[in-house]
Amino acid sequence: MTHQSHAYHMVKPSPWPLTGALSALLMTSGLAMWFHFHSMTLLMLGLLTNTLTMYQWWRDVTRESTYQGHHTPPVQKGLRYGMILFITSEVFFFAGFFWAFYHSSLAPTPQLGGHWPPTGITPLNPLEVPLLNTSVLLASGVSITWAHHSLMENNRNQMIQALLITILLGLYFTLLQASEYFESPFTISDGIYGSTFFMATGFHGLHVIIGSTFLTICFIRQLMFHFTSKHHFGFEAAAWYWHFVDVVWLFLYISIYWWG
Amino acid sequence: MLWNLLALRQIGQRTISTASRRHFKNKVPEKQKLFQEDDEIPLYLKGGVADALLYRATMILTVGGTAYAIYELAVASFPKKQE
Repeated sequence: MTHQSHAYHMVKPSPWPLTGALSALLMTSGLAMWFHFHSMTLLMLGLLTNTLTMYQWWRDVTRESTYQGHHTPPVQKGLRYGMILFITSEVFFFAGFFWAFYHSSLAPTPQLGGHWPPTGITPLNPLEVPLLNTSVLLASGVSITWAHHSLMENNRNQMIQALLITILLGLYFTLLQASEYFESPFTISDGIYGSTFFMATGFHGLHVIIGSTFLTICFIRQLMFHFTSKHHFGFEAAAWYWHFVDVVWLFLYISIYWWG
Repeated sequence: MLWNLLALRQIGQRTISTASRRHFKNKVPEKQKLFQEDDEIPLYLKGGVADALLYRATMILTVGGTAYAIYELAVASFPKKQE
């Protein structure tokens, strides 16, 4: 059997990029079918195949790393760069929504009444559920740091506890925000206020759900003894993503809920 | 599953050792052996029968779905004439 003489990971052929691309086709054409012809079949098929692809793709990454040992230090360095670049791209994604919000709120048009919030909008009280949400996410930032230190110090049970607390706080935030959405006196179609509010907070909420899912995967992997005190990049990537989600919320809270 | 974990926590507070518990045994060495077998089976199928079933299901759904999407495109491209 021939062995490589370098420390890099030459990935073997895989069907998941193909199924991923096809699932993207099904999701987009599915959206068109839903909007124009009131059929959700293609969209559901797209979401299902997308989920199947993600599950198997990342399952294979775990096999390549934890089970086959391909994630050497240089490989891990590349993964770190990759995650940082991805999060940076997400920062720019949110920057667009903040731009839209500030564009409209810094110079409110006469049609809005010349002030912000516009006439007819009763904004949410920032000192009620939004403040609770802020404390929930900040606390989750503390608990995930506790989990990381426990992991590095080989304290298995504390790591599991702290990570569980982090996930539960994330779930609590999601439930609180869902309740706020349900009770809100304004909707997404209530002018530019509604549009900017729900686009920004809506995409943030989606990222909380993605982050919570990532953390849950890490939780399961920790239970299965995948992480060591020295090598646990999957967890670190999840933690970075979680802190990013927290920071976006802080910007949302200050800009839209408080100043807005 | 949750009360198992709570029970786990209490056990952790009592015992000093961090050895494997009743519910979660460290199966990583077994998995390492399985996935490092020199048998030419591709990684995405190397886990066993479940892998093959999941792969087949995913392929059938994506390729079939693509064919269906192209069909719907064809239908949408030729609107029905109203009498």
